Amino acid sequence: MSTGSAVAHDEANRDEFNPFLSMAKGFDTAADYLGLEEGLREVLRVPNRELKVSLPVLMDDGTVRVFTGYRVQHNYLRGPCKGGIRFAPQVNLDEVRALAAWMTWKCSVVNIPFGGAKGGVICDPRTMSSGELERLTRRYTTAIMDILGPDRDVPAPDVNTDEQTMAWIMDTYSMHVRSTTTAIVTGKPLTIGGSRGRREATGRGVMIAANEALKMVGLRPEDTRVVVQGSGNVGGIGAMLLHRQGYRIVSMSDMYGTLYDENGLDVPALLAYLQENGRLSGFSGAQELPNDQQLELDCELLVPAALENQITSENADRIRAKLIVEGANGPTTALASEMLVERGVIIVPDILANAGGVTVSYFEWVQDRMGYFWTEEIVNSRLEQIMIDSFGEVAATAERYGVSLRTAAYILAIDRVATVYRMRGVFA
Amino acid sequence: MTGVEGEAPGRHTHSEAALPATPLLDDETPFSTMMASFDEAAGRLGLGEMEYRLLRKSDREIAVSVPVAMDDGSFAVFDGYRLQHNQGLGPFMGPLRISEDLRIDELRALAAWMTWKCAVLGVPFGGAAGGIRMDPTRHSSHELERAVRRYTANLLTDIGPDRDVLSPDLSADEQVMSWVLDTISGHRRHTTNASVTGKPPELCGSLISEDAVARGLRVIGRLAAAHYGLGPGPHDVLIQGAGKVGGNLARILHAEGQRVVGLSDVHGGLYRPEGLDVPALLAYRREHGSLAGIEGDFEFVEGREFITRPCDVLIPCAVANAVHSNNAELVQCRAILEGAHGPLSVRADRILERRGIPVVPDILANGGGVVVSYFEWVQNRSGLFWVEPVLEKRLNRFMREAWEAVREVQARHDVTLRHAAHMLAVGRVAEADRMRGIYA
Repeated sequence: MSTGSAVAHDEANRDEFNPFLSMAKGFDTAADYLGLEEGLREVLRVPNRELKVSLPVLMDDGTVRVFTGYRVQHNYLRGPCKGGIRFAPQVNLDEVRALAAWMTWKCSVVNIPFGGAKGGVICDPRTMSSGELERLTRRYTTAIMDILGPDRDVPAPDVNTDEQTMAWIMDTYSMHVRSTTTAIVTGKPLTIGGSRGRREATGRGVMIAANEALKMVGLRPEDTRVVVQGSGNVGGIGAMLLHRQGYRIVSMSDMYGTLYDENGLDVPALLAYLQENGRLSGFSGAQELPNDQQLELDCELLVPAALENQITSENADRIRAKLIVEGANGPTTALASEMLVERGVIIVPDILANAGGVTVSYFEWVQDRMGYFWTEEIVNSRLEQIMIDSFGEVAATAERYGVSLRTAAYILAIDRVATVYRMRGVFA
Repeated sequence: MTGVEGEAPGRHTHSEAALPATPLLDDETPFSTMMASFDEAAGRLGLGEMEYRLLRKSDREIAVSVPVAMDDGSFAVFDGYRLQHNQGLGPFMGPLRISEDLRIDELRALAAWMTWKCAVLGVPFGGAAGGIRMDPTRHSSHELERAVRRYTANLLTDIGPDRDVLSPDLSADEQVMSWVLDTISGHRRHTTNASVTGKPPELCGSLISEDAVARGLRVIGRLAAAHYGLGPGPHDVLIQGAGKVGGNLARILHAEGQRVVGLSDVHGGLYRPEGLDVPALLAYRREHGSLAGIEGDFEFVEGREFITRPCDVLIPCAVANAVHSNNAELVQCRAILEGAHGPLSVRADRILERRGIPVVPDILANGGGVVVSYFEWVQNRSGLFWVEPVLEKRLNRFMREAWEAVREVQARHDVTLRHAAHMLAVGRVAEADRMRGIYA
C-alpha cells in the first residue's frame, strides 16, 4: 500500500493519513466497548510469529543479489493464516505486521476460519525480468516453507503478485513435498486449482454490501446515483455489477481523470473502451472532470475503490453521498469517518465491504482440499450468503452498542478472536 | 525424473526386471493411434519444442522387482512398473494392469493417454499407468494377493491420494484394488481411501461406478445426435460388446426408448431391425455368462459382419481396432460413438472422415469412468458420500462441458472431433505446465 498521499500533507496531520494508526484506533475503540481484558489486548497487539528471510537470486546478468523477505502471521487462533504476498520497494516489517493484523480482523468479520498473515519481499518488480521474478518467488517460497501449508498458512496475491506468481509458489511447494498441493496458495489460475468467480469476487462483494446498505436507508437501486472512484478489479467490476442491478452509475474514474454523466454512464461500453485504450479519458458522451472533484459529486452512494486516504478531514464536509461503501482498503481516514458518521452518513467499512476477495479465496482453499470445484453460480451464491450474513451481524452489533458500522465490525471481529482465545486457553 | 528409457531406476534390483525388447508397434495398434493424434494436435497447436518434448516423455518411470513366495514353497520374482506421464494438472491417476504380456511401450502410451483424457474431461489429474507382469489366471488368489501387496509396498513413496491414484483395469478388479488400499493404509497407519478408485461400495467406493462409462456414453450420444441432426429418434443403435460398457449401455438406451437393433459379444452378434428385447438378452447373458446358445426372434450375425449392419449410431464397446481399413468402407451408420479404447484404427479414421461419417472419439465419449473415478476420490477425501441423483447430475455436467469444450475447439480450428479433443487436452496440459514453470 502506497502511503504517497500522506506525503502531501504537513507533519501535524500525518497521523491522520497513516492507515495503520487508523486501524489501531479502530481496534482500541472496539476493545474498549468490549471491555477486553488487558492480557488479551496485549496478545492481539503483537503478531504470533514473524519470519525474516534473505533471498539470494541469480540475476540475468550473472550477478547475485540478496533480497529481503518477510512473512508475518498475526494470529492463527481461528484457523490457518491467510494473507497476501506483495513485491514492492516500500515493503517494510511494520507495514507487513499491520496488514497481517488487518487480515485477522477481515477474516473474522466474514467469519471464515482463518487467522491473518501477510508477506512481502523488498524488490522492484518493474526492473526485473520474468525469469528473475520466478527465481525470487521460488526461493522465497522455499525460505518460508516451514511455516506454510494448507493447514498452517495460505498465501494469496497482493501488490505486484498475480496468478503466475501463485502458480510458481504452488509448483515449488508441490515439488518439495512430493505431492500436488493446490491448497497451499489461493489466487491460482483455473487450470491448477483456481476458483471460478474469484476475479470478480471483491467487486461482487462490494455490490452485495451496497444492496444491503440500500435496504438500511430504504433506497431502491434505480433511485440511487453512484460515484465509483477507480475502474480496476474492484471499481470496474463493482460498477458493472451495480449497473446490472439497476443502479445509475453517474461517475467513474481512473488515475488520469473522471467521467460524469448525471443520467448514468453506459458502464459496459465504458469498460470496453477502457480495455481498448487503457484509460477512460476520451470516452464519448460523458463529461470529463478533474479527479479532485469526483468525490464531492452529488450522489446517493459513493464507492471509493482506488487508494487509501481519499476521504479526509479536509473534504469530508463536502461529501454529498448518504452511503459510502469502501471498496479500497482504508479510503476514509478515522477523523473523516467520525465527521461523516456525525452527519448521519452510513459507511460500510473496508473490512466488511471488500471482504468478497478473501471469502472466495477461502472457497478456493475449500475446493482444493476436497479436490472438487464448484460452478460459478455456486461460488456466487455462497459468497452472497456470507456477505449478507456478515452485513446483518455487523448491523446488529452496531445497533446493540450504538456505534458506527466500522466500530461494530471491529467489535464483532475482535470478539470472535477473543472468544476463541478464551476457549482454547493459553497453550503450555 | 527418476528413470529414463532403457535404463533401470534405483530400486531396480534384479536383472530379470530389465525391460524386454518390445516389438515395434504397427500402425494399427490403439497406442500408436494415440501418439499419432498427439503429434497432430501438437502440430496444429503450434506447441513449442520444449513443451512437445516434455509431453512426449513420462515425468517418471519406475521399475520394481516383486518377489513372491509361491504356495508350493518356491519363489518367483515378477516385474512391476508404474509410469507417471505428466503432473501439470494434478496428482497422477491411472490403471493398474496385471498381465503376462505387459509392455512398457503400452504402459507409456496408456499413461499419456490418461493425461489427455483427464484434461479433456476437466478432471484435475495427470495420467499414469502401471502393472505387474504376471498371468493372474495361472496363480492362486493368495499368490496374486502377495504379488499385489508387495508391488504396492515397493511403490509406497510414489503413490497416494495427492501423488498417484491407482484405478482398476480389466485384470485388476475390486478385490485387487482393495488389497492395494489395505496395504497403503496399513503402512500409513490410517485408512487412506482416496489412494485407490474402483473400490466396492462397502470399502467406500462410489455409487454408479459400475455403469459410469455407459452413462457417460449416453450423455455424449444424445449431444452428438442432436448436433449431427440425426432427428428426434428413436435411433437405431448397434452395440458391439455386451459387458460392463456395451451391456449397460444397451440397457440404458433401451429403457429410454432407443431401438437397440444389434448387440454382440465374443460369440457373435444378434440383429433385429425392429429392435431387440434387451432385458431378455441381458438376463440370459447374466445366467449363462455369454450370449452363446441364445434363441429368439432375431438374426445371428457372425462377428466380423455384425459391425457392418445398417444403423443410425454404431457404438463399438468391445475391442481395439474393431473398425479397420478392411471394413471401414462397409460400415453403414450415420455416426460412430467410441465406447471401447481405440476401436478405430488410424486408417479407418481417415476412411470414415472421407465418407463423411462423424466419429465421437473414445477420449471424450467413454470418459464417464474416469469422471466417476475422480468423484470417488473427491468423496473419499471429504469423507462425505454423494447420493445417486447428485452423482448423475454431476457426471452429466462434466460430460456436457467436455463436449462443449471439444466442439468449441472443433469449430475454431475446423478439424475432426478426435483432433479437437486432443488439441483441447494438449492445450490444457501445456498451459498448466507453462504456468507452473520448470522447477529448479
